[in-house]
This record gives sequence, C-alpha cells and structure tokens, in this order.
Amino acid sequence: MASRALLAVISASPNRCFISSSWIKIQSSSSSSSLSLHLQRHSRKIQLIGRSYSSETKSSEFQPPDVSSLAETARISLTPAEVEECETKIRRVIDWFGQLQQVDVNSVEPSIRAEMEGGNLREDAPETFENSESIRASIPSFEEAYLKVPKILNKE
Amino acid sequence: MSTTLLRTIQPNQFSLLATALFRRRTGNFSVRCCGSQTTTTHEAKQPSQSRVAPKNHRSNKLDEILKDYEAVIGIETHVQLSTLTKAFCSCPNNYGSYPNTSICPVCMGLPGALPVLNSKVVEFGVRLGLALNCDLSLKSKFDRKQYFYPDLPKGYQISQFDIPIASGGYVDLDIPLEFGGGHRRFGITRVHMEEDAGKLLHSDTGDYSQVDLNRAGVPLLEIVSEPDMRSGIEAAEYACEMQRIVRYLGVGNGNMQEGSLRCDVNISIRPIGQAEFGTKVEIKNLNAFSAISRAIDYEISRQALLYNQGQADQIVTETRLWEEGAQKSVTMRKKEGLADYRYFPEPDLPEVILTQEYVDGIRASLPELPEAKRRRYKAMGLGMQDVLFLANDVSVAEYFDAVIGKGAEVKSVANWIMSDIAAYLKNEKLSINDIKLTPQELAELIAAIKDGTISGKIGKEILFELLAKGGTVKGMIKAKDLVQITDPAEIEKMVIKVVSENPKQLEQYRSGKTKLQGYFAGQVMKMSKGKANPGLLNKILLEKLNA
Ligand SMILES: [Zn+2]
Repeated sequence: MASRALLAVISASPNRCFISSSWIKIQSSSSSSSLSLHLQRHSRKIQLIGRSYSSETKSSEFQPPDVSSLAETARISLTPAEVEECETKIRRVIDWFGQLQQVDVNSVEPSIRAEMEGGNLREDAPETFENSESIRASIPSFEEAYLKVPKILNKE
Repeated sequence: MSTTLLRTIQPNQFSLLATALFRRRTGNFSVRCCGSQTTTTHEAKQPSQSRVAPKNHRSNKLDEILKDYEAVIGIETHVQLSTLTKAFCSCPNNYGSYPNTSICPVCMGLPGALPVLNSKVVEFGVRLGLALNCDLSLKSKFDRKQYFYPDLPKGYQISQFDIPIASGGYVDLDIPLEFGGGHRRFGITRVHMEEDAGKLLHSDTGDYSQVDLNRAGVPLLEIVSEPDMRSGIEAAEYACEMQRIVRYLGVGNGNMQEGSLRCDVNISIRPIGQAEFGTKVEIKNLNAFSAISRAIDYEISRQALLYNQGQADQIVTETRLWEEGAQKSVTMRKKEGLADYRYFPEPDLPEVILTQEYVDGIRASLPELPEAKRRRYKAMGLGMQDVLFLANDVSVAEYFDAVIGKGAEVKSVANWIMSDIAAYLKNEKLSINDIKLTPQELAELIAAIKDGTISGKIGKEILFELLAKGGTVKGMIKAKDLVQITDPAEIEKMVIKVVSENPKQLEQYRSGKTKLQGYFAGQVMKMSKGKANPGLLNKILLEKLNA
C-alpha cells in the first residue's frame, strides 16, 4: 500500500504523465506547498479554471517538495538519508513540470484525459472471480471471514 | 413513509431543544434517552410539554433562535446503485453476501489489475442527473482520491473531482402541512460517480476492527446540494425527496438502515444580516430522516448558544457524530486545515463520453418523477395530504394511477388506498405490491358501491378478502349473494318484522326516545345480512316507526 502511494505521489514522471493541463493550472495557482489539490466544493468554479487555462499560460514557480510531509501523507516512514534521496528525485519531477508550463498551449483544445480508446464500457453482467481464495489467503491478518486490522476511528 | 417518520418526532422536539439550550447553563439537566425520561433535578423553564400543534411544529426556542440567526445547511448524499456488478469489475454487487467473497484483483487493488467501467453506472448517473435537472457533462473523467484507511484496499478511491457527470440542477419538493407546508426549491451543485469503500466493523471489545471488502468498489452516486436549506425539517424533507427520486428511477433501493442511502450534513449559523457564512460543522451517522432533522436542530441550538454566550470562537470546523440514543452529537474529529486527498486523474480509465442521442434516449425513458406526480395529483383536486401520501411511495403511486386508469373516481380511490388498504398493509407488514387485489378489482369494487350493487359496509368486508386472497368483485358478490337489497317491498317486510318483534322499544321510541331509531336500523341491517340499502331502510323504518 505504501509503495503504491509513493507511486501516486511521484507518478508524474515524463514517460507516464497523465496529468491534465487543468490540474497543472490549479496546482500552480494553489498556495499549497504539497503536490496536492485542495478539495474545492464549487466544481463549476474549478471547471471554469480548467477550461480557461489555455488562454493564460504562464510559467509559475513550484514550491520545493516537503518530503517529510509527503511521506506522512503516504503513511510511510523515511530515514533522513532517504528523505534527502527522494527530495532530489521529486525535485526533478517538479522541474519537469516547470518545463511543461513553458509550452504554449494557447491554441490547443483542453484535453481532460490522455488519449485512450474510448467506449470500452462493460456490460453489467456478474462474474465471480474464481480464485478469490488465494486473495484471502494472501491477506496477512485474516480471521473468521474478516480482515483483522488495528482499530482506527479517525479517518483521514 | 418518510412523512410518517417525521410526524413521530414531533413530541420529542421540545425536550431535545430544551436539553440543548439548558444543559450548559444548568449543568445537571438530564438528557432524554429514546423517549424515556430521566428525572430533571433543575426546574429549567421549559416550553410546555403538551402535544405540539401541527403548525407550530418547532419549539418556541428554536423559532426564537431563528429570529436572530439563520442556519445554512447543505447535504451530501451517497446513493448506492442497484447494479448487478461493482463499478469497475464484474464482482457481484450483493448486499449481505458472506464477508470477503465478492472480491477480485481489481477491487482488491492487486498489481496489474485494470478497472473497466460498468455501463449501468453511467446510465444511472445520467438518469439521476436528468431527474435533478442538471446539466450533463458530455465529457467527464475519473480521478483518484487518495486516503489511507483499512476499508480502502487500493489506497485511493476512484471518484470524479473537477468534472462531475452532472452539475447545476435543482429539486422541488412540498413540505408537509404539519411542518408548516409550502413548496421549496433546493439547488443541486453536482452529481458524481464513485466507488464505495469496504465495511468496517469495530469490535466493542478488543483493540481491532474487522473489514468486509464485499462493498469495496460498489458504485455510488454522490449528490451535493447547494447550502439552501434553513432548518432540520427542510433538510429531512430534502433527504426524503432524494430517496423518492432514487426509488422512482430504480437506480437504488434507497435503504438508509442498510446504508444504501447515506446523508452527511454541513451546517453553520450566522447572525441575520451577516453576509459571510459561519464556521461549518459536519454531522455524520444520520441513518434516518428523523435523525437528520433532530441532529440539525440540535446543532443550530448548540451553535446559537455559543454565539449568545460570546463564545462563537468555540464553534470550530469539525465532524460530529450523531448519537441516536442520547439524542445529541459529539465531536468525532476536529479538522486542521483541509483534508489533503491529492486528487489526480485516474490513468487507468478513459474519459466518459456521452452522446447527445444517448442522453436524449435516457431522458425519454425517465418515469414520471415525484414532483410531476404531486403536481398532477394536485391538479386532479386532491388535497396536499393525499398528494404527499400517494406520491411518497412509487409503488403506491403506480397502483393509484392504475386504479384511476380504470375510470374510478379519484377521491374515492385515494380514500380507499389511504385508509383501509394502508391499514391492512401496515398490520400485515406488506407492501402494496404484495396484495392480491388488482387495480382493476378495486375500481370494480368502488363502482359496485357507487351504483348501489353492494353497500359500503359489505364493500369493506369483501375488500379484506380480496386483499388477502384475490378474486373478482363480481364473483364474490355472486358467490356470497351480497347484492344489495334495493327492493322496497323486501325491505319493508323486514322492517315490519323487526318492529313487531320489539314492542317495548317501539313504545319507548314513540314516547320520545327517538335515538332508538338506530337500534331498529341495526336490527333490520342484521336481518338483511348487511345487504339492505341504508337509505331505503331508514326511509321505510321512519315511516313505520312514526305510523
Ligand atoms: Zn472485484
């Protein structure tokens, strides 16, 4: 789980970047110091920002990554050495975003998603996965039909 | 059904609010538990505990508060969809399956597994979006919402962030008369598609929790309202209407106890005239409409009290949990800054593209919705109470429509359904779909009474037999020889017999005890096995008695 989260944090590497331009725009106008979006309630406002981005391209400064807080958000613990190591890597990713910001997209129709073959929806027909036993068997703490986890009452 | 629920909460509101208002001041004011009252040690000046007059449904205290403060309420509603499979995999979507059996690599977030969107989820999203008068996004997308919790195997929830499938709509509803009545329109900010998390069961003993992931990946539609509601009643009625719409559309079962319809309420209050909103508090764990109403009124009182005591700074952004037993809310967590969900577009799913033809097709297939039904019933001349009752449950409304479709008189049909049939359903714990009486036969029954073939009394008697066993009105009238006696000569014979058999009563009647007419009428009716036409019977009886 932790590795997946870190992946999510740094998934914006050049060869697999699916981050939309609108995301970047919101990101750059956000005062947040992390690589994150604020949840805004007024979706229409966001859409507006998302749609109007192309006419106001400008380069903007990204904040340097705060790896310690990122690690906390991802629920992983890093040694100071690892923090240092990650910091350079993540900074490289962020710098690459800086380059993306330079691209003039004034005349480009906003793309909300990367190009993929569309229309691949699935029929609503149930199919039971036959090897679910092996999934259950691989769960480290499984007791009496349930996953057993530490008691956590406070979400987020 | 929901209206009934709300009705039942009335008497309790006084005590609830009184509790909220006085607890801090007195320190030892008792809390009511599920209607049973513990003793109060302090003579707090409470409003009268007598039954609330329908119009004055709220306590005077709350009305007083609302003279100085305005409550601003918004609701997030999660609707679990009644699809056969989960949102992004083919695992069966069955409530109540054996724990952790409806799982696969996709919903368990195993490496390499790819989600594929269920077409029904899109269809249901469009249906609900249209029903809520929203604009649809012909192009929308999914995003990942990251958070860590044991009920979320992937470490993120697939949701829609900045481009929901539907936005900018509204819903119209009628407030029941006993809560002041009136028509309301509440804005709908957005409707978006997402997946549910698993179910966490917290053990009362022990320091662990149990997780069932059958629900992980089950499709949801989240409806976000505008902050347009101003009271607990309005919010509860809004939630009722969401349930009705979901059921009318057939996109979900809307069952609050099972968690198929979940409401989270955001509430703040501000002094009237103040432009900016107050601090927003979220309330969770509201699994009944009455809980929504009461939790909000409690929260309004709590916040107003803090304002009045000059402690408005103690109203903080937090999530509170409603405790149904204690009828109060408690802090669940205080939020420091906004939750950081690190949304980004879901790379494993393509954008969701709708064609105008697809949307138009769904629009054309929408059923008549609750608001349209209510307006139509109103236009037929039915009173608001009848209208709200009949339109509340889609099955009842369909039944009603089917009976009047057979030409039966509207008001009679409404009366039969709302009185005897409703009572029968309640006693037998049945839904209207379970009864054996077809709409055709109810129409026949009403017609048979109207044209005098049978008496109203006999009509009621055979109604219950038809409800339980089915059959036809004509067949039953014939088999049981129930045809009303409308022949004056035959009725006269019976009247003469009864009068002659009761000389004592006749003497009393003639010496002024005219109330005894009822006694004679009853005897004749008994003799006719309930079949004598009551009008004729009384007419002839009077003639003979006064002869
Ligand atoms: Zn699955």
